[in-house]
Amino acid sequence: MSNQIAEANWKFHWRLTESAGIMIYLADYRGRRVLWEGSLPYVTVDHQRETLEVEGDPGDAHGPWWVPLGARTLQGPVRVQAFRGGVELSAVFASGPYNYTQLWRFHDDGRLCPWLTIYGPGIHDQHTYHPHWRFDFDLDGARHDAIERFEDGRWQRVDHEGWFPYSGEADEHGNVWRQVELGSGAVLAIRPHSWDDAELFAIRYHDGEWAPYSPRSAAGAQTFPAAYVGDEPLDGDDVTLWYVAHVHFSQSFPYTAGPSIKVSGLGLAG
Amino acid sequence: MASSKKPVKVARALKAKPKPPPVRPRAPARKAPEQELSQTDPALFDPLTPGEVADALRTLTEDRRLAAMAKVGRYRVICTEPLVVKPPHWMAGHRLVRAVAFDSAADRTVDACVDLDAGVVAHLELTGAQPMLSRDEEALAVSIAMVDDRVRDQLALGDTPQSTLHYWGRSPDDLAFARRSAAVVFGRSDGHASIVAVVDLLENIVTQVVPAEQW
Repeated sequence: MSNQIAEANWKFHWRLTESAGIMIYLADYRGRRVLWEGSLPYVTVDHQRETLEVEGDPGDAHGPWWVPLGARTLQGPVRVQAFRGGVELSAVFASGPYNYTQLWRFHDDGRLCPWLTIYGPGIHDQHTYHPHWRFDFDLDGARHDAIERFEDGRWQRVDHEGWFPYSGEADEHGNVWRQVELGSGAVLAIRPHSWDDAELFAIRYHDGEWAPYSPRSAAGAQTFPAAYVGDEPLDGDDVTLWYVAHVHFSQSFPYTAGPSIKVSGLGLAG
Repeated sequence: MASSKKPVKVARALKAKPKPPPVRPRAPARKAPEQELSQTDPALFDPLTPGEVADALRTLTEDRRLAAMAKVGRYRVICTEPLVVKPPHWMAGHRLVRAVAFDSAADRTVDACVDLDAGVVAHLELTGAQPMLSRDEEALAVSIAMVDDRVRDQLALGDTPQSTLHYWGRSPDDLAFARRSAAVVFGRSDGHASIVAVVDLLENIVTQVVPAEQW
């Protein structure tokens, strides 16, 4: 199977990584570059104790854990399927009581949906999933990026690197964050799922700050991507975005987490 | 006679007429970074061949900065994957390998970018980060847990290792806080988990055995 797909106005490539699921790279929409690469570096799982006693609550007694989403946990082949108005890739990963279906959906109207369906019982009910997506969008080039968030009823520029949780406020389309290409004015709008309890990290690109092979940085230090966050200005530079969802397990599982992303304003013909 | 030399001089002068500057092959005009970016060769992202992996690891272990690691030989290669950098970086267009290893002797991670075209380690970070476990380490964790008496005592009929999780402790009191650790989940094939065994991969011992429902 070729790893290049040209369908539904998109042309992109994919490959299975060692630990970050299916990676999409060099994705163009109607002939214009949108994404350098995007992947799902990891999904951590936290456990909580079920107690109503505040004083006796031990908190999180144990740390988080995770399994690499890659060849070692892949179940069956990576599937490429057309659907009405688009094309999607899907891959199933399993490790004991944890099961995931990773999806990349490309719509002909410019929407891109990197999603993760989470299922499986876990080792008990009180646990929370934290899928981490990393995107290196290159709208019409790597530089000239700006990040904005919808706050106080309008889009506001994010000047410096940081962590930007979803506060419940969104524009009329449900978009909370967006990446703007300062030269062309093209926009990549990011709409979180209402129940993702999502947050976005915006980080200036640096060599070496590639997708990590573990959430762990040094013992006792912040995990990634927080460990990459400093106080550098973002305006006009190359920015990487991390979308993190926090999904508590419930009887209603399976649950599909992940953002809907739409590219617009590329000045496309037709 | 002197005049007879003049023509010679003239002739020499003519011969010595400054040559036109050598015609150097013109370097192709540098494209705008945006144009270079859109023309990146997708083949740079292709999976590594076995030979490319071998080449990268040979280059890595010959690097002087990693001489101690290579000499002691207590390291594991965690993964090797293609890496592609964007223009206008000088390595753009080169076949690059990201190689990550864990050096147990120094308790540190080696995160390197090897430039196969130049045959050098182009980027090297030595950190206290913990990369994911290699497949060998996952298998080792299971084998250590399987022979631990406390684990064997708590296993029910039909319990087998279901999953090896990459684990770290939250509290400094926990051995897994700073040390390389795995959590092996045992259970039945229907997905019901019974116990969790935490394995310290530096000492190769089980440090905790916890009923799954109490994890």
